[in-house]
Amino acid sequence: MAKIYPIGGGKGGVGKSFITASLGALIAKWGKKVVLIDLDLGASNLHTLLGMNSPKIGLNSFLNKTVTNLENAAVPTIIPNLFLISSFHCYMEIANLFYAQKLKIIDAIKTLPFDYILLDLGPGTNFNTLDFFLTSKEGILVCTPEPTSIENSFRFIKTVYFRKLKQMMKKASFDSVLKDTSSDLNGSGVNPPDIIEMVLKHDPEKEEFLRNKLSKFEFKLIFNQFRNNVDATLGHQFANVCSRHFYSVFQFLGSISYDSRIHDAIFSKILYIHKYPHTQSAADLKKIAARIMSEIPTESIAKDML
Amino acid sequence: MKKFDGLNYYEILKIPITSSYFEIKRAYKDALSLYNEDSIVTYSLFSKEERDKIIEDIQNAFSTLTDDRKRAAYDQMLVDSGQMETLIPFKEKQYGSSPLSSTHTHVNENQLYTRVNEKLLMEDVKALLDEILLQERLSGDDLKKLRKSVGVNIQEIQYITKISASVLNAMEENRFKELPPDTYLKGFLRSYAKVLQIDPQKVIDGYLKTISLDKTTNYSVPK
Repeated sequence: MAKIYPIGGGKGGVGKSFITASLGALIAKWGKKVVLIDLDLGASNLHTLLGMNSPKIGLNSFLNKTVTNLENAAVPTIIPNLFLISSFHCYMEIANLFYAQKLKIIDAIKTLPFDYILLDLGPGTNFNTLDFFLTSKEGILVCTPEPTSIENSFRFIKTVYFRKLKQMMKKASFDSVLKDTSSDLNGSGVNPPDIIEMVLKHDPEKEEFLRNKLSKFEFKLIFNQFRNNVDATLGHQFANVCSRHFYSVFQFLGSISYDSRIHDAIFSKILYIHKYPHTQSAADLKKIAARIMSEIPTESIAKDML
Repeated sequence: MKKFDGLNYYEILKIPITSSYFEIKRAYKDALSLYNEDSIVTYSLFSKEERDKIIEDIQNAFSTLTDDRKRAAYDQMLVDSGQMETLIPFKEKQYGSSPLSSTHTHVNENQLYTRVNEKLLMEDVKALLDEILLQERLSGDDLKKLRKSVGVNIQEIQYITKISASVLNAMEENRFKELPPDTYLKGFLRSYAKVLQIDPQKVIDGYLKTISLDKTTNYSVPK
């Protein structure tokens, strides 16, 4: 069965597409059949990072039924074993995807016959991004080692939980929790309430079940644009704090060193790891790709001491 | 968000129950640096109340586990409540002899500040402090009076400010020649004043005036 990794998190520009393209190319190079799906709907440009012109066939062909199944919407890239499903030629208002269409895409993704499926998600926490992120039991969260980005990551994680809970609970009971919490909010004043905890505790009979479901999810973290002056243990601290205070397992995959040549490579439309294969950042990417493929039991890492 | 609810002191510090003094101390320092308000990782994760509670838990864990008597009682409690299987005499598990610094007093900063605040609210204490701080010059004796009136001892200041006891004593006993250069001294006086929660600038200005007066009198009197 295919391993599906949605790649999301934080603001635009943290490097999600760059990382998706690089990891995809590396995993493909090691002989696995990989497809990248550009799900940054309305702002797709994964093809450019891969040095391609915008493919005519893509998600649009699947949605308008030119191709019958999603597999046929995948076009080969210049890299052997690596395929791309682009959303470049989707209609102008694709960013506001209909719910039914979204479900259709998600269902189709789950049955794609590839070894690895990487989903390049858009920035922020809109419903599309969250639902695509929840396509799999594990997801990759990209952020930069800056306070703002880390703050956004926490928000992203919380929103993912919130969305997941909403999916799992009956609409009526979820709505009633929200009503309760908003009235609590008015009463309590200073403290912003912990909505996730409130939703979990709302129905004691369900609590264990919901917590258990959330605990099945695995977040994998990547720090991008890592500069030398940043504490090298930051990534592990971040993963440890998350594992401790949130509900799932968090694994730190690694940091990717900042390199201004990444920018040059994007301009030249040649994948950075091909243009500069012997740099620190390329080595960092390889390490992360290897870690994803070896599937180190995440438990042991999460239980690492600080 | 999960906090420390339901975790025992070992779990809070993320250490095995057989940990030695050194391991506990290291875990404590790591935890403090991870949960302090300037930590890039956690600053946005907790409200002030949540953070204060977390820090308090960490400090309680540390002060209990580094006190042999308290730790033994705590372990017994864990065994009685079924959280720990059998009592493990941690003394035997310690690596090497107990550290030299184990005799130092541990200070809970939060508790100290609460105590000082309570003192500062008392009328007579306040009157005494105001009277001293109104003086143009402050001597070592004045510092000592200030410190004693809010009920803080030298070891506590040493613990919080990390200023060595010999410097603190020299400051209070007017042994000016043993004091570091002014730049450092100012910093020390500021930290000192902060522990007592009085105006640092008044303390610095007043004390430096005493020193300069001392210099001029010494120079003007030929031997």
